[in-house]
Amino acid sequence: MKIAFKGMKFLIIVFVLYIILLIADTTHALSALQKAGSILLSLIPLFLLIIALTALINYFLKPKQIIKNFGKDSGAKGVLYAIIGGIISHGPMYAWYGMLQDMRSHGLKDGLIATFMYARAVKLPLLPFMVDLFGLLFTIIMTLYILIAAVLQGKVIDTLGKREMKTL
Amino acid sequence: MKNPKEIKSQETPTLKKAFTKALISFISITPMLIAVMGLVGLMQIYVTPDILSTFFGYGSLVDTLAGTLAGAISMGQGMISYVVAEGLMEQGVSHYALSAFILAWVTLGFVQLPAEASVFGLKFTFYRNILTLISTIIVSYATVLTVGALS
Repeated sequence: MKIAFKGMKFLIIVFVLYIILLIADTTHALSALQKAGSILLSLIPLFLLIIALTALINYFLKPKQIIKNFGKDSGAKGVLYAIIGGIISHGPMYAWYGMLQDMRSHGLKDGLIATFMYARAVKLPLLPFMVDLFGLLFTIIMTLYILIAAVLQGKVIDTLGKREMKTL
Repeated sequence: MKNPKEIKSQETPTLKKAFTKALISFISITPMLIAVMGLVGLMQIYVTPDILSTFFGYGSLVDTLAGTLAGAISMGQGMISYVVAEGLMEQGVSHYALSAFILAWVTLGFVQLPAEASVFGLKFTFYRNILTLISTIIVSYATVLTVGALS
């Protein structure tokens, strides 16, 4: 089976950057490499979880169901799923690209991807830190505004998408 | 004409097939993930909290923009953003800037822009990041103003 790799040019650029830095600033470049390695190791469990989650979505949700729940006519239910998904999703955004790409190819609409991505700003495990830093009222208000912004972003992305379709 | 069995097997993949498909989909983006992690490593070494603190101290509007920019170029676990924000708060950086910084840390990421564009396309990436940038500034401002009005 042939795999179409994504980001090869990007990887080559980063590789060349590291080569240059290893020559020009060896100590920092080695520290950066070590950091990157430790990030990779720390993310392996999350990657495994995401692969399993994608497989389960592929298995249980048929394309028709993805379109129904996350497609252009998914309505408020789709937005709610995207918000909940965004809030409970863990780890860096780029770790979730594969799963989103897969669901998008089955009908997940772009607006919900944008909503999911912005709703990730609400980090449940970090809320106590926010309360400690800014206070409870600030945390509640900010969380509320983040969720409103997440929904609005999704709507704007969908509207822009529709407008482009019309002009084609 | 396809027989019903064939159609059924296309509609319901086995768990093994679904897993293989998910694995292949993930493997296809590994060059991009490795590149992003490489850049994150570089950013964490070269963009230190001391460098970030030099961005602030020019008034609430400029500080909010600086907070957004600083958050967007910083990468790492969300927890670190709070530690850095606490340090900046002790230096007298405004709540506008700090909330923008924390929000941008999670929602924006200059480092992952090429990866996002290669997966979702340039248009989506452009629109989403512009909207996120605007939202971050508005949410930060609106939060501080609302809290100020309520308390």
